[in-house]
Amino acid sequence: MIEETRRLAEKWLESGKVDGIVGLRENDGYVAPYLFTETGELESLVVSSQIRRTFCTSKSQRFKKNVLYLLQQKYPKAKIGVVARGCEEKAIIELAKRNQLDLERITILAVACTREEAIDCRCPTPYPTRIDVGKRVEGVSSDVDVEALQKKSLQERFSFWKHELSKCIKCYGCRNVCPSCFCEDCKMELELWAKMGQLPPEIPMFHFIRWYHVADRCIECGACEKACPVDIPLLTILKLLRRDIKEMFDYEAGLDAKQEAPLLTTLDETPLKE
Amino acid sequence: MKYENVLTICPYCGAGCGLYLQVLDGELVGVLPCESHVVSQGKLCVKGWNAHEFVYDKERLTKPLIKHNGTFEEVSWDKALDIIVRKFKEYVEKYSPDSIGVLSSAKCTNEENYLMMKFARAVLGTNNVDHCARLCHSSSVVGLGASFGSGAMTNSIGELENCDCILVTGSNTTEQHPLVARYIMRAKEKGAKLIVVDPRAIPLSRFADFHLRQRPGTDVAWINGFMNVIINESLEDKAFIQERTEGYEEMAETVGKYTPEYVESITGIPKENLIDAARTYARSDRAALVYSMGITQHTTGVDCVRSCANLAMLTGNVGKPSTGVNPLRGQVNVQGACDVGALPNVYSGYQSVADEKIRAKFEEAWKTKLPPKPGLTVVDMINAAYDGKMKMMYIMGENPMLSDPDIGHVKEGLNNLESLVVQDIFLTETAQLADIVLPAASYAEKSGTFTSTDRMVQMVRKAIEPVGESRPDWQIICSLAKRMGSNEFEYSSPADVMDEIASLTPIYGGMAYDRLGNGLQWPCPSKDHAGTPYLHKDKFSRGKGSFAALEFKEPAELPDEDYPLNLTTGRIMFHFHTGTMTRRTEILNREVPMGYVEINPVDAEKLGVADEEQVLVQSRRGEISIKTLITKRVPEGVIFIPFHFVECAANVLTNPAVDPVAKIPEFKTCAARIKRVERKKL
Repeated sequence: MIEETRRLAEKWLESGKVDGIVGLRENDGYVAPYLFTETGELESLVVSSQIRRTFCTSKSQRFKKNVLYLLQQKYPKAKIGVVARGCEEKAIIELAKRNQLDLERITILAVACTREEAIDCRCPTPYPTRIDVGKRVEGVSSDVDVEALQKKSLQERFSFWKHELSKCIKCYGCRNVCPSCFCEDCKMELELWAKMGQLPPEIPMFHFIRWYHVADRCIECGACEKACPVDIPLLTILKLLRRDIKEMFDYEAGLDAKQEAPLLTTLDETPLKE
Repeated sequence: MKYENVLTICPYCGAGCGLYLQVLDGELVGVLPCESHVVSQGKLCVKGWNAHEFVYDKERLTKPLIKHNGTFEEVSWDKALDIIVRKFKEYVEKYSPDSIGVLSSAKCTNEENYLMMKFARAVLGTNNVDHCARLCHSSSVVGLGASFGSGAMTNSIGELENCDCILVTGSNTTEQHPLVARYIMRAKEKGAKLIVVDPRAIPLSRFADFHLRQRPGTDVAWINGFMNVIINESLEDKAFIQERTEGYEEMAETVGKYTPEYVESITGIPKENLIDAARTYARSDRAALVYSMGITQHTTGVDCVRSCANLAMLTGNVGKPSTGVNPLRGQVNVQGACDVGALPNVYSGYQSVADEKIRAKFEEAWKTKLPPKPGLTVVDMINAAYDGKMKMMYIMGENPMLSDPDIGHVKEGLNNLESLVVQDIFLTETAQLADIVLPAASYAEKSGTFTSTDRMVQMVRKAIEPVGESRPDWQIICSLAKRMGSNEFEYSSPADVMDEIASLTPIYGGMAYDRLGNGLQWPCPSKDHAGTPYLHKDKFSRGKGSFAALEFKEPAELPDEDYPLNLTTGRIMFHFHTGTMTRRTEILNREVPMGYVEINPVDAEKLGVADEEQVLVQSRRGEISIKTLITKRVPEGVIFIPFHFVECAANVLTNPAVDPVAKIPEFKTCAARIKRVERKKL
């Protein structure tokens, strides 16, 4: 799989299909996102299941923008490639819908996940829309944690979430890693909704802000849950939100670049313009 | 078009979390957490997530500065270094090497601290080298050294997850070591018992099975009380005591009088709670004790630390995974700065300067005579400056003007010096008093190693070029040494320095850069040694574990009629130490922009002060103007002030009284009062 990925990346770099390709590099004993611009570097390109899979579409905390966005802004003519799994492609699609990326100038080297990886990520669609490397495998159709929670009474669910959120240490990690959020003025940082400087932050308001803001763009990658220092089961609540959005609007974020996001449309149903 | 991520270590607390610095075209654009890191596991706290921000702050020092008629002027590196060297030589000749004092830094790498202490000893010829460990864990180094033979955290951070019981005292772990608290919370969720002993309600106490709120400064008493209960109910580990320890009888005799009733009368902890908590700790198979400044920062700091060691030994909770006595170190490299000898009495690896054989080893390696007499501590250096005995100080990356007790006294001391040189990344409160200021590179701009609180030596990797004309501290020290005429500071890179440390330091003997990819925990005596996750496995470092028979002693200053409140100080989640870095980080400043004094509602009512009212807090040292925060987090009679804020600096008030052995000041308790500010009628 890795040989195939390297070969394809090499072909794309050599042919000029891309000027650079973002992927994971193994260097000095560790693996991290890297922009490969020379074919000679590609022997250090890896596809790691140890590293969070939405890494290549990660944000810059300094600019609160996706690194691919920063590259596109800084190099308007550059053709940028990215080694992307299903979740990363979904993130790219949702960002493009919100004018955060130009799909025309991004080429995805699409990698399908293995069944083990899908189970580990509780992912129902562990593959991109088009696959360059790997084989499409079955996703996880029913989520054990979601089902278990749904069986509980409203009262039980309420105290469950109250307990979980009371552990929060306000690191903002869930927001920081989220590939789908990009506002420079983040409402989570507004005193208006949740008092600043408090531990835990106001329950449930602080978390509600984020959940509602990503309701129709959450691609259930689980990066937020993996970044949480106190193991709040964030993926579980976001899966439930995603289910609601599907039931209400028949919309699933990240699957189709052409489908309009429901919370982006205006009241008279004409598309939202910048 | 270049984008990469460089794995390094977060510059804040001693947890030593791994993080990536994101670099776009040579510019730092952010931080990403590292999933493969043993402690952080892809998570960070709010400080770590924003650790990139202060690096490009507009107030970064970018050029050497020299003070002319009270104002700083930019000078060239050559000129600045020449002047410093001339002054060093002048004071050594005119007075003596001991007229100079050096403060090293827990924010700098192991290599830099090693070079700084080598410079002080081999080039200047003085053992007057110390750093802020004096103010946080010198009592751990001394106390655990005496009890176990090694002053460091006995076990590893990750092991906490598998404890059956965790006793947290004097550590607000969630706010001070967030990623260590993660493992405590995980243990709790797996069913471990959690005992918190702290005067304040802290985030962890919400989840605790027991929260015992002792009167500040009475820790020896409640720990003796725990042991009294354990011995009375025959819950002690007799085999462990018999085989592995000495001094038990004497200790047992002393704790005999610390009955739960007597302890309640001293500490205010209800005797039933004390008994239940003691039983819970003693009956657990794997019980770990976690502590921090609440134990160490007392005039009885060493006694408090030795009491913790007593309790762990009494129940056989040392030398096994998920047990132990675990001091959490505050600064990212305060463990390392101690390890490599930035202390007045030891070379690297805690090798005594007074020991002739050891001194001979270092004299041979450094090719010079070395002074045999231990040097002055941080606190003593300030006193010597105040008394006019110390003429010059060289301070690297420390800010005693905010971190030390009784700041008024510190300021007088530093102002009384003939010459003060400060090497830092910002013009700190201390640097403002300097004659010469040298701009240093930040953690993102240099390579080296940090040693985290669980003795793990980890790689710090350079991500970007130094900002402006700033230079890495290790290069500055080497330049100074060369200009002083030494040939013993020829290093091509920090890796060379580590090789020298390894060759002279048995506990670091096996350390080398090509082995440090995933970190290595000392002791690691040889290149084929895999490191040591927990200490004292079959044998204590000193042979037998030593019990200490300790009587409770009152703090140096107690509340009285004039100053009826008990002031305690500490840190909060959103800021770090003297705020040099966190107060230059937007989100952290928005969370908590200014200091405050926490006061119990009952006391607030008695005094007639309202929430967020600007009041004066006074002690025998001074007074500050500060706003109130009325909260039950503090018990009646106790007030708490975070020490990060220069505008209302807690350390104007704190008591400089020190522990007689470790010389650690009593930051955690002193007498204070609150005065309402008289307002003129309109």
